[in-house]
Amino acid sequence: MGGELGSLIAAQLEAEPWVGALVGIDVDPPRRRLRKAEFHLLQPSQRDRIVDVVTSFNPHVLINVSVWEPDARASLTHARQFTADATKAIVGAAAECPALESMVLRSGLEIYGRERNAATRPTENAPLHPTTEYGKMLANIEQSAREVGRRVGIAVGKLRLAPVLGKHVPSPLGRVLRQPVVPFSMMADAPFAVIEDGDAARAFVAAAAQRLDEPLNIVAPGAITALQAVLRGRRVPLPLVGPEWALARRLSHLFGAPIPDHVVELMHRGRLGDGSRARETLGFEPRLSTPEVIDHLYAWESVVRIGSIREVA
Amino acid sequence: MAELIEFPKKVVGKAGLALLEPVLHWPVHSVDDFGRDPHLIGMLSPLAKLRWDVSVGGTRHLPVRGGALLVCNSRRWALNAVYAALALSEATGRPVRFVGRPDVAPIGPFMRRIGGLLARPDEVLGALRNHELVLMSSEGTNHARHAGPVDHHLISAAVVSGSPVFPVATMSSAVSRAARAEVGPQVRPRRKRKGPLAEVELAEQVQHHLQRMLDGFGGMQTGVAPIDWLAEG
Repeated sequence: MGGELGSLIAAQLEAEPWVGALVGIDVDPPRRRLRKAEFHLLQPSQRDRIVDVVTSFNPHVLINVSVWEPDARASLTHARQFTADATKAIVGAAAECPALESMVLRSGLEIYGRERNAATRPTENAPLHPTTEYGKMLANIEQSAREVGRRVGIAVGKLRLAPVLGKHVPSPLGRVLRQPVVPFSMMADAPFAVIEDGDAARAFVAAAAQRLDEPLNIVAPGAITALQAVLRGRRVPLPLVGPEWALARRLSHLFGAPIPDHVVELMHRGRLGDGSRARETLGFEPRLSTPEVIDHLYAWESVVRIGSIREVA
Repeated sequence: MAELIEFPKKVVGKAGLALLEPVLHWPVHSVDDFGRDPHLIGMLSPLAKLRWDVSVGGTRHLPVRGGALLVCNSRRWALNAVYAALALSEATGRPVRFVGRPDVAPIGPFMRRIGGLLARPDEVLGALRNHELVLMSSEGTNHARHAGPVDHHLISAAVVSGSPVFPVATMSSAVSRAARAEVGPQVRPRRKRKGPLAEVELAEQVQHHLQRMLDGFGGMQTGVAPIDWLAEG
């Protein structure tokens, strides 16, 4: 509930008539003013406290968005550790809640993997062969939740999000694309789709309301390639062929925009997903298309200037 | 402080923009849900027309909105699916995607930009469920007027999605620009099957229809016999 996506989901849930009480856990305080929700500031490693909070609240619906994308808020090692700890604590606690009917999880298109000859635009039925660290983390989360769901007989909805971009969402892809000089794969320049954070939050709320019990791809319509995105943002494209990617990644890291392996894969092999089932099942229509989300990305101020503070008598 | 943070970005940005001014004035578009780039196709179509002058017929058979699987014959190295997909896209005003792009850079990504799909049943099924026109080719032969066997695994995508299947007889010459793509009427299965026989039988029927259409085309008639023989492959 402290991250941007969690705060957005909480704010939208507060406005839902079917939501009575709301409890959230995160490592950061909420980024929005929440009127109804009760918030607990807890680290993923505080398993006992998390289990206490969740079991004493005994929810009907549990939404788990505690997924640390590598190089978004934490390095790969920390992201892996935090995600594993949070999954263990939250999914484990869910199994102890007698009133629980449904669990909705955050997953991602990275779970399908992009090995050679893999489906270009996978549907939810496509086999899961994650080829990046982030994809493997997501596969572990889904597996844990699936096992718990089977054991205690609850609905488990998995929302496989396209890369989430938003004003305050820490995203390695967003950071790379907003650099003044952006590398792209000259030989492939593969298309990818994204989703805006507000749209992703709406999908979570709809999935929770309907007690979703299946995986769904959450993807904004349309697609864009890295070069097209760079030119839309009037950045300088840097064409790379292959071996120099290692150097580009290190340089980009130095400039504050690390490029994790799932972003490199996105630029080389693309990342699309078939989001038609979400439309049929949840009636979910993203408000922004992929090119529009990219245009918004470049429209955000990199430095927000606040005028001098004057005292008012 | 903000100016200080912005300064290096501004300097690099200005220098880069000056160098890349021509590239930045390139029209910027996006690709569609499957990675097809209509702008790139628009730019390449004059080049394609230098090679193929395709006369298209029978497009009235195709659905105006829904998805459909089109099956064309294929002569080795003749790129029948590519020129037929481009010509049918232009004639129908709807994107026609062709099946059979490789998944190796740079050819694979380039073919994806011009509408290529991988030759996988789930890839074809995804496109048909999204109401797209998809063109696959039968197995390649050495003769321009022979239709090879049709892959029933790919046909299964049409059976599962309930999409209609249309034969597209294509013919081109190795020595001239003349090419033809003729869409035939929908191939309807003779018997209703519940199992995999549905796609096996439908694939055989499509091959049969294609062969009949190709027989109706006749051979090349340029008036110069050796050229006609060459064109026959």
